[in-house]
Amino acid sequence: MITIEHLKKTFKKNKVEAVKDVSLEIHDGQIFALLGPNGAGKTTTMRMLSTLLEPTAGTIHYDGKLLEQSDVDIRRRIAFLTNEIRLDGQFTPDELADYYGHLYEMTKEQIEKNRDKLFDYFGISEFRDRRYETFSTGMKQKTSLAICLLHDPDTIIFDEPTNGLDILTQHLIEEYLQRLKAEGKCIILSTHILDLVGRLADRVGIIVDGRSVFCGTVEELPAAQGVNTLEEAFIKLYKENHEEKAIVGK
Amino acid sequence: MRKKPSSVNKILHGMHQIFSHEMRKILKEKSLLFGFIVLPVIMLLMTVGISMLQPKETETVEAYRMYFYGLEIDSYNIGTMDDKDIWIEPVKDDPEEFMKSKRFNRCDVLVDYSDVHNVKIYYYESDDVSSYLKMSAESFVRQSYEEIYKDMFPDITFRPLSTEDIKQKDDTNRMIAMLLPYMLILPLTANIANFAGDTIAGDKARGTFYQVMLSPVPPISLIMGKILSVSLISLISSGVYIGCDVLGSRICESLGIKDAFGFAGVHVSTPQILLILLYAVLLCYLFANLGVLISLFCKDVNQAQTAQIPVTLLCTLASMMSMFRLGISPKSHYLIPVYNICLIFQDLLNARAKMGNMLMVALSLFVLAVSVLVVTLLSYKSEKVRI
Repeated sequence: MITIEHLKKTFKKNKVEAVKDVSLEIHDGQIFALLGPNGAGKTTTMRMLSTLLEPTAGTIHYDGKLLEQSDVDIRRRIAFLTNEIRLDGQFTPDELADYYGHLYEMTKEQIEKNRDKLFDYFGISEFRDRRYETFSTGMKQKTSLAICLLHDPDTIIFDEPTNGLDILTQHLIEEYLQRLKAEGKCIILSTHILDLVGRLADRVGIIVDGRSVFCGTVEELPAAQGVNTLEEAFIKLYKENHEEKAIVGK
Repeated sequence: MRKKPSSVNKILHGMHQIFSHEMRKILKEKSLLFGFIVLPVIMLLMTVGISMLQPKETETVEAYRMYFYGLEIDSYNIGTMDDKDIWIEPVKDDPEEFMKSKRFNRCDVLVDYSDVHNVKIYYYESDDVSSYLKMSAESFVRQSYEEIYKDMFPDITFRPLSTEDIKQKDDTNRMIAMLLPYMLILPLTANIANFAGDTIAGDKARGTFYQVMLSPVPPISLIMGKILSVSLISLISSGVYIGCDVLGSRICESLGIKDAFGFAGVHVSTPQILLILLYAVLLCYLFANLGVLISLFCKDVNQAQTAQIPVTLLCTLASMMSMFRLGISPKSHYLIPVYNICLIFQDLLNARAKMGNMLMVALSLFVLAVSVLVVTLLSYKSEKVRI
């Protein structure tokens, strides 16, 4: 379980307050969808969750243990996949699995076992000797996902996991996320696709202008806003909180 | 998972993984072939080509000179040898000062009369002319004992003269000593700018850096793994360049052409080679540290390579400045980064390197490299690097 309390991030260089006050609760064995408009602070929050960035204030606890940027061991439990993350193009999926497996101090047997399972699932096995740079976008994304999950993490953070993928690949990834959820993993998704949230997520957190404005189950969200759909609830929350900021700004 | 390793093992394991991956990555790069094969072949052809363009007859020495210190004499010609005049000239500066002066370059023998009980003769043992003139100087000194000092100092007896080999007259080594810092630093800085630029800034641009940052590899392993791979590949690449020069010189020798860079007749002992290699490794490590630090703050290879230009220019300038050095440099010059290593390369090839200077340079390079590494590790945590 991940507990985020009053998380804040101000970038030193331009003094931009990307995250002002975010508090969320993310449970194991569930898919948590992080929603918010562009520039709301979702990516910064996820970067802090993955230890890439250090919070200016506030805390993140993984199963009660305080997350610190310098704690390299906690990274063994986390996987973070964004569209910005790529793999070295000169290498084959086999070579990449070998490299990243060793970085996570896995044994050769563990690497082979996990690699074969993931490669088979994502249909990479027949391309395992081809260089990553020769792959299509979808195949690259699937390979990145497989490599990212190789060390069998407890917490999986995905930023726009199905962005730019064809329907078949999207379906494959969605199915795998469900499988991970069934295994008791904690999955955090950032997406703009509300349909995907409706299909996959158990709980949802909404961030507007760097502040968390909702954290609850998918069913609670429209009900709490007095509307029928997720989309309506999201827009309502956004308008309310964004307008508040505009008034304060005046 | 494996049994939990100790912190040191974890650092070494991570460093080994990053280092081997970086090496494999570099070796898979097609552009590497250009740096490792095409450019060295061009260098080889250039060495042969420049040598072929050299005039066959060279006249560099117009006269031979014997200098006397501590003796009231006027300049005069004492005869000729090989159709060249032999001149005797007085020196006002003491030998130590004189050896730093421009006049010293024209000196074949220096006779130090500051202590008449122990006259010293400095000469070049490896040079035939200097050795021959030393014998003339010895006769002169013996004669002066017999004819002058015997009357002035009745108790004086003839003593064996102390002679010292100043070991600098080997023209081939002198040429290489002058060129080596430049020939080594130029490809080294160029290679490091290329490889270090790609190692982090290139990874950032390709999006592969974050995946490693998110792994449990300690930052020191990540940084050191990259520095070591950049150092090794740059050192090998620079070695290939110099190897091509040597090969070019050998080709010139077999074709009966005098090679322009003077590699063919160079005399270096194994300890000299090992010491030069040791300093080249240190230099490489320092440059790689600087390269990785610059690369850490850049977003792509082009930006990193542009940011490396001032470093490359400064280092090249330092090596060029050392080419025009005359005589012996003061101790303080051995503290100027990069320039000091050029001086050591020259001293080593001229067989006049002093242990104190060597240690000072090695220590200063090491301290500088470690300081840059500390700055790199601190910078690794900064937001500019991570977003």
